[in-house]
Amino acid sequence: MRLSFKELPGATHDYLRPVVPVLVEGLPRAPQLCLVDTGALHNRFGSWVAEAAGIELEAGATEIIALGGFMTEARTVPVQLRIGDAAWEAPVSFCDPWPPAFHVLGQEGFLRWFEVTIRAAHYTLELTLETG
Amino acid sequence: MSQVQATIAHHRFELEASEVSRIAARTLPEPLADHYVVVNGRRYPPKQVISLVTGLDRADFTTHQARRVLSRLGFTVGRRSAHAQPAGPGPRREGPHRGLEADLLRPFVAKWVAQRGLEVLVAADGPQEVLAWLERHDQHADAMFLVPRDQGEAEGVAPE
Repeated sequence: MRLSFKELPGATHDYLRPVVPVLVEGLPRAPQLCLVDTGALHNRFGSWVAEAAGIELEAGATEIIALGGFMTEARTVPVQLRIGDAAWEAPVSFCDPWPPAFHVLGQEGFLRWFEVTIRAAHYTLELTLETG
Repeated sequence: MSQVQATIAHHRFELEASEVSRIAARTLPEPLADHYVVVNGRRYPPKQVISLVTGLDRADFTTHQARRVLSRLGFTVGRRSAHAQPAGPGPRREGPHRGLEADLLRPFVAKWVAQRGLEVLVAADGPQEVLAWLERHDQHADAMFLVPRDQGEAEGVAPE
């Protein structure tokens, strides 16, 4: 599937970000906007998502991690995710606090599952579910 | 701000724009049909606003009556079908929508929004309010996110 970059308003210029809307189990009405971060290893979401979706975090070990200039407490559990017709289960670290405007999709929880073509010159990204 | 006298559904009201703004600020907008009025930077169905400020049942007056009163009070009224037009002539901007999406999101900086297409369905201070609104009004969004306040929120996190 082909998706457009998101245009976000800024004080001096717009921010153009490669993002995808991801449906999280338990939140069928509101796909969560996630940044495709080719440098990130793991999926990182704000912890409010787990609370709203009814995802139990007790089974996940707590760790303190440093991300993009802030420290946050993360709990990682497997979660059912979906983009369009493509569904997969992957570990998601739910983080508190979580200052960014959107969640993050990384190598293990996302890029392992999809072939991703980013065409920044055209402000598009194309996702194809990996087979085999 | 302005004050008008209006007769709606055989009742006479003296309405003040500041009072309309104050009352509307306590309530999230309901899903829009075609017409809307902009109050406090949010788009509301005109009948919702008039019902809120007068206590009248919405069946007792028309959308056009509500639009007319709100317009006289100085509020911008419009139609969704005329809303998301491509950016007109002006400096060429980067992006898949040439800045139109950013401009539509600009009034909602620091708010959580649910978006369908380029349209903002609802904007609220917290994500739970957005989710509750979608549930209450049986709506589905294409995406929900925080409209960033600053570069830090917009840039996401650095690579690990």
